[in-house]
Amino acid sequence: MDTAVHLDGITKRFPGVVANDNVDFAVERGTVHALLGENGAGKTTLMNVLYGLYDPTSGRVLVDGAERSFESPRDAIDAGIGMIHQHFMLVDPMTVTENITLGNEPEKWGGLAVDRAAARDTVVDLSERYGFDVDPDARIEDVSVGEQQRVEILKALYRGADILILDEPTAVLTPQEVEELFEVLEELTAQGKTIIFITHKLGEAMRAADDITVLRDGRNVGTVDAAETTREDLAELMVGREVILDVEKSPAETGDVVASASEIVVEDERGVRAVDGVSFEVRAGEVFGIAGVDGNGQSELTEAVTGLELPDSGRIEFLGDDVTETSRRSRIDAGMSYIPEDRQDRGLVMDFDLVENGLLGSQHTPEFGPNGRIDWNHSREHAEAIIDEYDVRPPNADATSESLSGGNQQKFIVGREFDRDPELVVAAHPTRGVDVGSIEFIHERLLELRAQGVAVLLISSKLEEVQGLSDRLAVMYEGEFMDVVDPATTTEEQLGLLMAGEHPDERATGSEESPQPERNAASGGEHA
Amino acid sequence: MSETSIDSASRSDDGFFERYSSRALIAAVTVSAIAALLVGGWLFPDSIVGTFADVVTSRNTLSSALRLSVPIAFAALGGIFSEKSGVINIGLEGLLIISAFTAIYVTDVTGGVWVGFGGGVLASVLLALLFAVVTIEFRADQIIAGLAVWLIALGLAPFASQVIYGGPNTPTVPTPGSITVPVLADIPFFGALFSASPSVYLLFLAVGLSWYVFERTTFGRWIRASGENPKALDTAGVSVTRVRYAAVLLSGVLSGMGGAALSLDLGQFTGNGPTMVNGKGFIAIVAYLFGNYNPIGAFLSTLLFAGLDAMQTVLQLQGIGVPRQLIRITPFVVVIVVLALVGRTRIPEAAGEHYESGEE
Repeated sequence: MDTAVHLDGITKRFPGVVANDNVDFAVERGTVHALLGENGAGKTTLMNVLYGLYDPTSGRVLVDGAERSFESPRDAIDAGIGMIHQHFMLVDPMTVTENITLGNEPEKWGGLAVDRAAARDTVVDLSERYGFDVDPDARIEDVSVGEQQRVEILKALYRGADILILDEPTAVLTPQEVEELFEVLEELTAQGKTIIFITHKLGEAMRAADDITVLRDGRNVGTVDAAETTREDLAELMVGREVILDVEKSPAETGDVVASASEIVVEDERGVRAVDGVSFEVRAGEVFGIAGVDGNGQSELTEAVTGLELPDSGRIEFLGDDVTETSRRSRIDAGMSYIPEDRQDRGLVMDFDLVENGLLGSQHTPEFGPNGRIDWNHSREHAEAIIDEYDVRPPNADATSESLSGGNQQKFIVGREFDRDPELVVAAHPTRGVDVGSIEFIHERLLELRAQGVAVLLISSKLEEVQGLSDRLAVMYEGEFMDVVDPATTTEEQLGLLMAGEHPDERATGSEESPQPERNAASGGEHA
Repeated sequence: MSETSIDSASRSDDGFFERYSSRALIAAVTVSAIAALLVGGWLFPDSIVGTFADVVTSRNTLSSALRLSVPIAFAALGGIFSEKSGVINIGLEGLLIISAFTAIYVTDVTGGVWVGFGGGVLASVLLALLFAVVTIEFRADQIIAGLAVWLIALGLAPFASQVIYGGPNTPTVPTPGSITVPVLADIPFFGALFSASPSVYLLFLAVGLSWYVFERTTFGRWIRASGENPKALDTAGVSVTRVRYAAVLLSGVLSGMGGAALSLDLGQFTGNGPTMVNGKGFIAIVAYLFGNYNPIGAFLSTLLFAGLDAMQTVLQLQGIGVPRQLIRITPFVVVIVVLALVGRTRIPEAAGEHYESGEE
């Protein structure tokens, strides 16, 4: 057993956040090791520690058995580590060869000229040795994304890397290119290179890796042999199963359908169907939950429902009207509140104060903006009311949202959105990155709204959250609803299977509620 | 698989088409217009077309076009180095002004024309250094800092002349004269290329060398990478800051050569109004944009603009008045048309952006 990389007890703290908490991570030479976890689990932080971008707060980095301390990526490169970032570091108008040799160009005539023939030969040799399909003379801007990625890998190899870190390498690739990448990885390990492969897609980890380490909330929750593990085990490791709270909720008194979606299709920029024909309805007084591992189309579906993205096909109705193509603003006015997944990017303007942030989405209403002028006094009272009611700290309406902790930012957003008097609340990961006390508080508020007859669409990858709060629960996998189940009578194991894209056998409960029985039949051959 | 490769192939064809065909079209139109003019002039020597044809084929036109090209083309080369590295230098005009004055002053004091030339270059480099420190080190806005460079020089040079010589115009100093290559200088029309001021030969050298640096040397690649994707260069272990300093200082050297040549060839610096530089630094920017950041292209477009200017002068001597103002706006009109039609003058991706190593 030859260990190429060993991270020993790595802890990395940022102000207010522990990104990595005493992580042990060891990679054997000549293997592909997947680092699996949800967004924000600390995967990239851990690899940035290895690559010399971050100094660990505590812990040791050992490469080839020797303890190393990297000041910068240059030290890591010198130690034989190469990192292929999610965003490629390539110069578009230059050729493949020029990019690979950039910074280390072979020269002739005493440095007066680049030895272009030698550079080209080296690149051709390298790509033949590893079986790469690249054209050394093509410009980067003219080649496919998959080829650009191979150029990045060649760049690292050209500089003598033995250990390659790939950060979410499949995020930008088409399915065929993903297969090509996995073949490349096999060839590299066959020649003794070591690969660390960051991903949040468990199917890819199973397919490409020899070993899989799962990170959750900055901790290593298990390293498993890819050949001996199952999808459901991995899904459970990723999303966790500890119950944070027991939600006591009254039986649902459901009313009319408030919102419905039929056959929604959303394609991403690569033309892949992120949401593939999803239908559901949410009734007044119920919580409809959507569970699933991140990146299975939940974000795209949420944006289509809230009006931030136009679905490629399908129909969305809200309070009996077709709103498929209406603006976000008209949906707000009609009573659709939205707690966005990324609160700093979509929920708040970070350098605005809370008075201004409290106004967002209401600035045009007669209440806050009569006659085209903003009523600042009323806005201030509004912000202070939210701060008071939702216990936002520090209780200062003049503070910028930047100065608040994540949990308090979230409480403020929740307050703003709930105070709109909504008919439907779309809550995407409403408790992500929020402390336990605030989680409980937000959950209670959601249930209060439900008791008042508001419809709630809850999207979360936390199993205990969606299971505890939802009246009906859909499980989303690769853009489709696997099933819609009764969360009270469905076990975590069954949910884990669904989240991994497999149907539990016929004793699965709630199947009479499933709107898509044809999916049951299709499950067999899907993941061969 | 095959679909994607076909797709990317056709995409690159489109790229090729867009990149070259509009430019080719403009070149073809220019060439055929000149041909039509020459044929027309040959058929009807006494018509106005004939006069035009005479002017275009006149050796004097070429020789004054070359002379007018020198400051513009040097500044354009300087601008290419700077902007390709990611620093937009719109202060070229200021660099020309400061070097034009300093070259005359140093020549006047020392009596040596080439010492004066060196003095002019040095003044321009110092001003470029100030610009580099402010924009690279202190991350000032490049456009505002560039305007400041122009305004500083525009105020400083005439002021210094006023203090030293008691007026915005300096007295005259000796000029470097011209170099004539025997025999070749007697060739009709093209002979003008072989009987010119030393600065014209220096310009030919600078154009060739600049092209070589960009196309063949490591440094040239680093400059390109620095302006396109500085992070790629940084992660490759090359200091972006150093590359950008070198490029901006080079723009000072080249602009300084242009400014010094401009005033020394005339033997005097005139500092009234916009000074003798009179917008040449700005036309230089237009020239390198038109030339798509290629040193040779920039030189040819300079020659086109300068040729129009020279023709205008000759035509006036022949009694056909084309308003000078109209001729002067030609480069700007041309560049607007070109940018709108060609649309592929490719500005470096990271031009105008600050870069700090280690930024996440």
